[in-house]
Amino acid sequence: MAEPEFVGLNDAILLFCRFARANGLSASVKESIGALEAAMTVGVQDRQVLKAALRAVLCSSRQEWERFEELFDAFWGFKQAGLEPAQRKRPNKSALDTQTQQDKAVLMLPTSSDTALSESEQGKAVLGATAHERLKQADFSQIAEGEIADLERIALHLLRQMSMRLSRRLKVSRLHNQVDLRRTIRHSISHGGDPIDLRFRGKKLQQQKLVILLDVSGSMNPYSLFLVRFAYVLQKYFKHVDTFLFSTQLTDITAALRKRQLREALQALSQETAGWSGGTMIGESLREFRTHYGRLLSRDTLFIILSDGWDTGEPKKLAAELSAIKRRTKKVIWLNPLLGLEGYQPLTRGMSVALPHIDVFAPAHNVASLLELERHLQSR
Amino acid sequence: MATPTLAKARAVQDIPAVVRGFEQLGYITDPSLATVVFLTLKLGKPLLLEGHAGLGKTEVAKVLAAFLGTRLIRLQCYEGLDVNSAVYEWNYQKQLLAIKIEENTGQSIIEKEKHIFGREFLMERPLLQAVQEVEISPVLLVDEVDRADEAFEAFLLELLSDFQITVPELGTIKAKHPPLVVLTSNRSRELSDALKRRCLYHWIEYPTLEKERKIVAARLPGIADELERQVVGFVQSVRGLNLIKSPGVAETLDWAQALMALGKTRLDSAVVEETLGCLSKSMDDTARIKAAGIEKMIAEVG
Repeated sequence: MAEPEFVGLNDAILLFCRFARANGLSASVKESIGALEAAMTVGVQDRQVLKAALRAVLCSSRQEWERFEELFDAFWGFKQAGLEPAQRKRPNKSALDTQTQQDKAVLMLPTSSDTALSESEQGKAVLGATAHERLKQADFSQIAEGEIADLERIALHLLRQMSMRLSRRLKVSRLHNQVDLRRTIRHSISHGGDPIDLRFRGKKLQQQKLVILLDVSGSMNPYSLFLVRFAYVLQKYFKHVDTFLFSTQLTDITAALRKRQLREALQALSQETAGWSGGTMIGESLREFRTHYGRLLSRDTLFIILSDGWDTGEPKKLAAELSAIKRRTKKVIWLNPLLGLEGYQPLTRGMSVALPHIDVFAPAHNVASLLELERHLQSR
Repeated sequence: MATPTLAKARAVQDIPAVVRGFEQLGYITDPSLATVVFLTLKLGKPLLLEGHAGLGKTEVAKVLAAFLGTRLIRLQCYEGLDVNSAVYEWNYQKQLLAIKIEENTGQSIIEKEKHIFGREFLMERPLLQAVQEVEISPVLLVDEVDRADEAFEAFLLELLSDFQITVPELGTIKAKHPPLVVLTSNRSRELSDALKRRCLYHWIEYPTLEKERKIVAARLPGIADELERQVVGFVQSVRGLNLIKSPGVAETLDWAQALMALGKTRLDSAVVEETLGCLSKSMDDTARIKAAGIEKMIAEVG
């Protein structure tokens, strides 16, 4: 980048736009023109005013809004170390450094989160159809590190599509309402018998309620990274979703997943949870769930457990808890990543006692298998 | 060509004029917000305001309308908001009645149809109103746009690009006086890039101590200085507690008002505890505030 010493003001602003883009703001060329327009409108005498004006044009989210401050100062004066004009930097990296290495290992695999963030930009990156299909089928635990970002993008994209399909389906079916003649006529009396005010009959469709319990014990490590994202997408598109992590204890992560950006959500998560990569007590965790969150269970709730069924707790307890939950919910769905393995038999003690109380037992080892879940998520 | 509001908007000299104008209407701005409002007026672009609840996002539109002396048209978004309740709807009851009344008038079908799809049977919803103003550009507030679904957002985007609406039976209505648009969002979901790109963006932060004190003083002129200082100080430290729902300025004002109604001129731990419901809207948050030590927090405020 040329030093903006002798360049005209317009050029300087355009250079700044380019600089901002290189450092992670999503502003396009169109915004550069907007920035010029804004700068001309407010004038450039007052640094603070110019800053506020450019910020209004170039930013479109809170993250960018906060990042802008730093970029502006770095460009127009107080040079700050570490900001290279052309280099793409991970924002707020320092905030992460306080987290333990282990949490990062599970949640923040290298490069994945950044790519997910800027998917709108980078989503256009061409990935061959074959690679696309292969990644969709690939077992999460077998993914090479370099492919994680690609896989994550595909997964988010497909899952999002699935959720959109589901919500659209709800809307279309709303049209099937029929005129309720009896009530219509009853109401027409006040209008002299003319059916002015039509009454409709038809079930009010509601979105499926979901409760998701995600196993994050050590044996689930290769999978939990993606399954958390799965939960995140579901949470984003379904209105009533409550998500919990469990290993030896239960953690409510609903609020953490509500964050608008995936990366924010993961960050909030890594602050919240203890017991990543520990042992598993499925029965205990279910019991804890029933005691504290029993109100979430109802006849229209789908109860989803994502676990490999390796349980160090008492099998009897697991069976008892599961049957109690089954009685109070519409369906119990157990998604087991190991089901994707050839020749896997659900013979672990935990899994075998659980089976009789499960309505749907399905694999969850790759994107394709997660998408299969769509069938069960439709409310009927 | 210049419409009265836009003429007035263009007549707004500079940013300090915005600050002053808003302040006269009881809204304390900061330079950053004033700049964005100024740009909105000058460039005629929609303004997207994001920020936590209770920080006066909606108020910006109201004050802007008052400042320009124009009408505020408000569209409250909610899930399932559709064209019928946002743009227009035919008044079916009235149409049916009209058909009945005209039964024996001997008009042709075409005449009748023309009549019952006339303007008098059209119920104008906010968006149609906004493009129909004949006198002066209104301020259109699209509140909590994140609650509406994507389909509606796409429709809105179309409207914002050319301010015209097509009613099949009537034809296309183009705004004579394009409204000034203010959108607010609570970030419950991500808005589309296209919509965000079209707007000027402003993130409303929690106010600084000085700003919040000015706001309280402006909104509650009768408040004792001591109480005002303590209330704001206390709320500011409550915001540092990482609550599930941090109190916004609206809560500060509520609380100050409650304390005034109780005839208090300074804080004490008993009254804080009794009125904590103004600040904290959940049991967990109340517990957290209590755990932080009300007595201690009052002492810190001084």
